[in-house]
Parts: sequence; C-alpha cells; structure tokens
Amino acid sequence: CSKFTRIMKNPDVDERYEAAMEYYDNEDYYKASLLFEDLLPNLVGSAKAEKVQFYYAYCHFNQKQYMLAAHYFKTFYDTYSRSEFAEEALYMQGFSLYKSTPVFNLDQSNTNEAITAIQDFINRFPQSKYVEEAAELIEKLRGSLEKKSYEIAKQYHKLEKYKAAVIAYGNFQRDFPDSHLREEVEFLKIEAQYDLARLSVYKLKEERYQLVKEYYLKFIDRYPSSQYLKKAENYFESSEKGLKNIAAQASVK
Amino acid sequence: QLGFQLNSGSSQDIDYGNPKEYKIADINVVGSQFNDKNSLISISGLKVGDKIRIPGDDISMAVRKLWKLGIVGDVKITVTKTEGNEVYLQIELTERPRLSRYFFNGVPKGQRETLSEKVNLIRGRIVTDALVKNARNAIINHYSSKGFKNCQVEITQEKDSLLANGVILHVNIDKKKKVKIHEIQFEGVTQVKEKKLRKKMKKTKEKHFTHLFTPSKFIDEEYRNDKKNIIEYYRSMGFRNATIVADSVYDHNGKMVNVKIKVDEGKKFYYRNITWTGNYKFNDEMLSRVLGVNRGDVYNPQELSKRLNFNPSGADVSSLYMDDGYLFFNVQPIEVLVEDDSIDIEMRMYEGEQATINKIIVNGNTKTSDHVIYRELRTIPGQKFSRTNLIRTQRELAALGYFDPETIEINPVPNFADGTVDIEYNVTERPSDQIELSGGWGGQFGFVGTLGLVFNNFSLRKITDLKAWRPLPAGDGQRLSLRLQANGRRFQTYSFSFTEPWLGGKRPNAFTVSLSRSIQRLIDYRTNRTNGSLKVTGITLGLGRRLKWPDDFFTMNNSVSFLMYNLDNFRTTGFGGYDNGRSYNITFNTTIARNSIDSPTFPRRGSQLSLSVSLTPPYSKFGGKEFGEPTEETKFKWVEYHKWMFDNSWFLPILDKLVLNARMHYGFIGKYTPSREIGPFERFILGGDGLSQNSFLLGTEIVGLRGYENNSILPFESNGTGGVAYGKYVLELRYGVSLNPAATIFVLSFLEAGNNWGSIDEFNPFVVKRSAGVGARVFMPAFGMLGVDWGYGFDNIPGNPSANGAQFHFTIGQQIR
Repeated sequence: CSKFTRIMKNPDVDERYEAAMEYYDNEDYYKASLLFEDLLPNLVGSAKAEKVQFYYAYCHFNQKQYMLAAHYFKTFYDTYSRSEFAEEALYMQGFSLYKSTPVFNLDQSNTNEAITAIQDFINRFPQSKYVEEAAELIEKLRGSLEKKSYEIAKQYHKLEKYKAAVIAYGNFQRDFPDSHLREEVEFLKIEAQYDLARLSVYKLKEERYQLVKEYYLKFIDRYPSSQYLKKAENYFESSEKGLKNIAAQASVK
Repeated sequence: QLGFQLNSGSSQDIDYGNPKEYKIADINVVGSQFNDKNSLISISGLKVGDKIRIPGDDISMAVRKLWKLGIVGDVKITVTKTEGNEVYLQIELTERPRLSRYFFNGVPKGQRETLSEKVNLIRGRIVTDALVKNARNAIINHYSSKGFKNCQVEITQEKDSLLANGVILHVNIDKKKKVKIHEIQFEGVTQVKEKKLRKKMKKTKEKHFTHLFTPSKFIDEEYRNDKKNIIEYYRSMGFRNATIVADSVYDHNGKMVNVKIKVDEGKKFYYRNITWTGNYKFNDEMLSRVLGVNRGDVYNPQELSKRLNFNPSGADVSSLYMDDGYLFFNVQPIEVLVEDDSIDIEMRMYEGEQATINKIIVNGNTKTSDHVIYRELRTIPGQKFSRTNLIRTQRELAALGYFDPETIEINPVPNFADGTVDIEYNVTERPSDQIELSGGWGGQFGFVGTLGLVFNNFSLRKITDLKAWRPLPAGDGQRLSLRLQANGRRFQTYSFSFTEPWLGGKRPNAFTVSLSRSIQRLIDYRTNRTNGSLKVTGITLGLGRRLKWPDDFFTMNNSVSFLMYNLDNFRTTGFGGYDNGRSYNITFNTTIARNSIDSPTFPRRGSQLSLSVSLTPPYSKFGGKEFGEPTEETKFKWVEYHKWMFDNSWFLPILDKLVLNARMHYGFIGKYTPSREIGPFERFILGGDGLSQNSFLLGTEIVGLRGYENNSILPFESNGTGGVAYGKYVLELRYGVSLNPAATIFVLSFLEAGNNWGSIDEFNPFVVKRSAGVGARVFMPAFGMLGVDWGYGFDNIPGNPSANGAQFHFTIGQQIR
C-alpha cells in the first residue's frame, strides 16, 4: 500500500485536504487533482470548498489539460463570483482556452471560444491588471484566424483555382478589414483575377478584365506606395491591352 | 420546496409594485448544522455593505445559486428588519442527508461499472426520494433493454458513520431470468406471407435453435420497432391503410412469453395520375421519366420518396436540381384523390434560387493540416452548389484514411441575402498509423520476425519542431514506412520509404524515395562461422502522376533505381563460378496504367490495364575493356536487360452479384546485344499461389498459376533461374456472397492457362499449361484479402511428374497477376 493510496483511503476529510495541499505545493499536480476531485463533493458548503475548487482548476492548468482547466475556472467563477479569486479565475479561463488553441492550420473552433471568453473578461473587469495581457491574447488569436483565411485563399491560388481564390481573398478583406496582411491580399486578388481573365473563354474575358482594373484602382487608392505597386501596374496594363484586343476584334466583325 | 419570502411576520411590508434600493446591514444564516455559514453567504453572492434592490434579481439569484449546489433541501431568504435604507437578511435552510457512498449488490463487477455510468449518482448530493427513484428506474430500464424484463431493484439507505450527515445507498438488484419468446402468432394476415413478416421483425424472434446470431429476447423497445417494420413492409407492398389493430404479450410458462399480433391489411392501392406543379426549369415529361413511376404501379410511398429525394442506386428528381445550385429545392407528393384502389398524386415543387458556394469551412482537424484537406475537396468557392460534388467530397475525405468515415458531416449554410452558401465539413480524426509486429515461417530461412511501422499522415516539415513529436510529427499527409525483418544473423532486411503525395503542392504528383538493405549469410551450424554473405543495398526514386489524357483514369509512374549486390564467397544458382565481387543494377522504369474498376474489393465493372518498361543502360554497346569484353569475373558486374510487362483485367457484370473477370498477362526480358546471353536477373517463374519468395538477389518475378505446384513452371534448361517470356490467361466467374464492407466474401470458379519460355524464339502464346478450379475469398479490413483455391492442372510438367493434378492454394492479399 503506497503512501498515496493510504491517503486516498483516509476517511478524515481534513487530513486528505492537508495532504492534497502538500502535493500541490510540491507540484505533484496529478496526485493533488485526484485528491481534490475526491474532496470536492464532501466539502461543498464548507469554508474550504472555495479554495479546493480554485486549486483543482489550477491542477488541470499545470498538467496542460487546458480545456478542463477552462471549464473548472469557469465553474469557479460562476459559483464564487464574489470571491477575491473571481477575477483571476475568469482571466485564467480565457488564458486556458488560449493555451488550448492549436496552430492556424488546424481546427480553430476553440479560437473563437477563447476570443469570446477573453473579451467577456475585459468587459467585466476593465480595471484588471490582466487587461493588457488579455488584449494581447485576443490580438494573437485573431492573428491565427487571419493566417488561416489567408493561407486557404493562397492555396486556391496555387492550385490554379483562380475564381475560388478571388472569392476567398474577397472574404478575407471582408472578415479582417484591419489586418496587416490586407495589402498583400488585395494585390494577390488582382493577380488571381488577372489570371482568371487571361484563361477565360472569350465571352467572359471582357467582364473579367474590367474587374482587374476595378481591383487595381481600389488598390492604388488605398496603398499608393505599395511594394507590390509595380507588379500590380503590370496586371493593369496587360488587362488594358487585353480589353483593347477585344474591342479591336469586335470592330472587325 | 424552492422559494423566497420577503415578508416575515407582519413587521416588514415590502411593496412589490415599487422596488426600492437597500444597503445590506447584516446577513444571518439559520438551519445550517453541517455547512459553513460564511461560505454559504459567499456562495449566495450577497455581501454586507452591498446595495441591492428588493424585490429584485439579486435575491432570486442568491436562492438559485444555493439551490444549485445540491446540498440543501429548502432555501428561503427573508427580511428580518429594515432601518431606513438598511436591510437585515436571513437565509433559512433545511439540510438533508447527503450521499456519501453507494454499492451495487447482486451483479458482477463489470456490470457495476456500467451501472455507475447509467444511474448518475453523484456523491455529496442530497438524497431525495426522486434521486432514489430515478436511480431505480435507470437500472430497470438498463436491464429490460437487455431482455431482463422482470428485473427487480430495491434500494435501502444507511447512515454513514464516517461522514456527518452522510448516507450510504445499498442498491440490491435481482436480474431474474432473461425473457424469451415462445411463439409469435399473427391474425388477419392473408395477402402476404407470415414468414415474410417474421423476417421483417429484426430483433423479436421466436426461440429456435437456428437463430444463432439473433437469439430470442423480448425487449419492449425492439418489439415496438419491429411492429413498425411490419407496417412499413405492408406499406411498401401497396397496403396503404394496413394497421396493427391489437397486439398482446402474455406469459407462456413463467420463463417465456407469447406474442399475438392482429393485423388489418386493408386494400392494395395503385398509382393512377401523377401531375407536377411549380416546375419551371424541367418539364413534366422529363420529371416523370426521372421519377420512373408509372400508372398502374403498386403504391409505395417509401420508394416514391426515394425516387424523389435521394436514390443511392440511380437518378432521383432532387439531384436534377440539387446538382445545379438549387439548394432550396423541395418537392412534396400530395395524394389529391383516392378512389377505390387508385391514387392520384400531385407533386408540389418549389425550385427556389440557384446558390453559389462562397466559403468552405473545415472543422475538427486536430491533427491534419488544412492544405491536406482543402486540396481534396470537390466543392470550391465560385461553383454552383452541387449535391453530387458534396457526396464525392465525402468519399474523398473518407479515402484519405485520416478521418472516421462514419462521422464526416456536411452542413450547407445558406446566406439568403446574397444567394450564396457556405459549406461546413465536420470531421473527426482517427488513428491512421499502422504497426506490424509478426513472426512467421519464411520458407528457406525458418523463423522470420517482422517489425513494420507505417505513418500515413507524416509531416517532414515539422521534423525540427520538437513539440510536434507525438510520437512523430504529423498532419501533412505524407507517408513514412519503416520495416525490419530478421532471422538472427542469417537474414536481415531493412527498408525505409517516404512518399509526398502532392510534390510541390500544386498537382497530385506523388514523389517516393525508398531505401533498402538486405543481408543474407551462409552459416555453418556446427562451427557457427559465417562462410559467405550477400549484401544488397538499393535506392529508388519515383514520381507518379495522374494523367488527364487519354482520360483521367490514367496514371504514369517513372522511377529510377540503383541496386548494389556485394557477394562475398556466396554460392548461388545461375552464376557459374561467380561468387565474389560487386554487381550493380541501375534501372529506369516507366509504368502507364489505367484503372477504372468500381470497387477495390469486389469489382463489378471496369478494367485495369498496365504497361511497364524497365531498362538498364546498354553497357554492352559502350564497348571498351570494362563493358565490351566481359570475363567470367566481370560478366555480372553491370546487370543488363530490358523488361516489358503487360497486365490487363476486365470485369463484366452478368447478374447483380455475378461477375466475369477476364485477365491476360505477358512479360518479356530482352538483351541489347544479340550475341550476349540474357542474365539470370529478373526472370519469370510460374505456378502455384504466386506468393512464395525467391532469391532477392535475382529479383525473380513470381507469377501464380493455380492447379500446379509452386514455382514449378519454368524452362527446363534455365537451371532454376526462370524464363524470359511468359504468358498467362485467366477467366474467372465470381459470385458475391456478402458485400458488407466489414467482411466481403465471394466465391469463384476459374479456367487458367499459362506458360514460361526460355527464349523469345520459343514463345508461343497458344502452347500453354491449362487448369480449372474453384475458390473463395474473404476480405476484412484488418486482415486484408484471404483466399483459398482448389485447382486441377491438366498438363504434365516435364521432369516434375507431381506438379500438376489436384492442388490447394492459399493466398494472402490481392494479387495483380
């Protein structure tokens, strides 16, 4: 019988509580969490319950079980909204969710949840010392959503699905109007639209070249000294040429 | 009882119509004996000094929070006193005993765990009558769903001496015997066969020794389903009004029950006129043709709905619209007139607008990178919505092997405002790596152990990121395989291969690198000394492409491989006196293949064609001392040949599950310089199951020919090294016994013929060894294809009198030739 199993079997709640705290202080979060889990139902309504629940959430956090940690921090906040730890718990819920989000090219369902949770924290505790960090987290999370949308659009471009690329770049512009990637995206949209026009059947060429011109004009209005200016101009001029050819052929007929 | 009361006695008058703000001067808790007062106040969310409105939300929230803890029986908050704008509150509770432990008696340990999940008894909760009753019901339901209809449960309470205010629950269960069905009787069944009805009852069966896989059990829910199945069957036969008018289940002999079902069949109905309204895009005639239901056909609403909405085995009306962007299309068949036994149907259609795809969203890929998934999707932004493409995409996603095919979900999310639709794919990752650990009898080597690892979703890109190693970096859809095979010192082989299915990310061009090394040692068992060895080291680079021309079933695969043989006092057949030195085999291979079969395990139609050419450099044409005039020593230094392989297989459906398969295979090996001999490498050996391995030094091509012994058909003069030209023809008639993807089984009969020649001049495709026989194949995903054949060889093999005649063959895996 190991020391830990003896403690688990100890009927005295207070002794188990002391042991759990000791495990926690010694950073043995796994054993501490087992004890806390066992203690929780027995301690509900007592003075120690608050501390146990808060530490229990931290045990998950320290074991990198971020989804569970987020859940328990939220439960803590909902139960003890007047506690001195309430603010920290709500921040930690958001931070745990942030920690649980994977890189941009995997499922981002958690990212949206994390953004909502952190925004909620900022709204409830605008004076908190964590607000600055929280804002930074939101920034990073938005960044990964931007990157995802950007990479998907670029993949359509690479696969030579130009129509899809133009639509996807358009969606990016609409969803992330203040992104730092926007300049590049707007340029790439011109490029994709130009390739779409160039490879179109004759009937659709005119309309599609016109769109290249339209996108170009919007682009130079917004970024008059863009690093992509020269290339964009090329597409514009080629489109003009294309349109002239179409006009010339039409007049021959 | 839950509630709060604000007028305590007559001293405090609260005006409910006019809420007022108070400051809390004091909070008192009464009735708590075991719970801590301060922590209860803390949980309530009320605090001395806070301003609250009375009446208002704060008080009701406080009650709700305390109640939610599940530890008090009754909560009440009262105002004891008000002084100016100060208020004195009192929380009144009644405490109830709390559940500290529970035990299940009368059932084995394994079932206790299942029950714990079912009953939802949470320790620390107050024990109420409802809690006990719910637990009891959950257990009874659980057992009655398993056929224990008479299960009895009794729950007793005991005070816990270890925990103040705690209660222990003892759950005593008596399952009793399983209830079986003695007899099922039908009444009023005249127009269909009773036997059919019994068959339609999937889970409710009479006790009978033939019902091995569906033992007789009486389960209420299944019985209800089976009654529905009976009615559904009647409906599908045109009995629109069939109903079960009465049914009873009564005791037979204490252990078994009898079931009696009384049916009112009603009349059989037929279609009369079918009319269409609301259709603008397609005319009535076109729609009726797709529907394929004619005047006078038996009325079958189920089939009608299939033909209208979704028909897995043919055309349906919806797909006409759904594949052309009409996402909002719907059609309602309305019975407008029922006259005698005829029914007139009006198809009320709504065509709606065409929708264009805007965004594609993939959720649930916790391992596989976006780009690996997006490149396989058949729905792309800018396309018209198409149901067929959606289904095709689902298939492509399943074919990747990274996701659970059962849980792939597709949700079109329409945006009515701009006529677009977003498509959401929800996937769940599943393990796609394979580990092979096996030991087997490997022919001449005796026991051979194998360790194989295949990672189907590897990521080379993330290899430097240590955090991504779980256990290997994953998610980029690359394939990495490692394989070790060994039998101590005598025989070892290591191989490694890496495949990137989309080299460059733009087109599905599969790039493969593979490395291999094999060592074979000749060991004298008495002295345990190594007398000789052969080491073979090889590398192959390959690039496979899907072609668009002549059609998109074509693929082309080019590869270059380099093999180095290192012989050290290694005597083997076909090399004369050559047993020391190095040989090099450099080949360039091109394979053009076309594959259009409809299923990999039991194809019914389509064909497989493949032409492969392997070339080594023509050293003999180079001349000089090195290549031009080989001596006995240098004869095998530079391996030289050209090899042509042709395989062709056709599948023709004869009846639904009866398929004819015709195959034809040829192979030739040639030399560049007529005066030279053809070397011993890469030759052909025919006969038997086609499985057995031969010397990997020679790379011999083993081709099966049923009805003859393994490796028995080869030119006599080749000294065991094999022929240089072979031909083989197969006619196979296959019948699918079970086409369930979990276990596909088919039986076959075959006629086979083939031969193997020592030189191109002797080659005569009509002089062949013939055989005929029967066999069976079983395909299970975990084991692959397993098969057994019995064949009879009609022709004698010169020099090997026992090679033909009746032969049994076992096969593993699917064989091309």
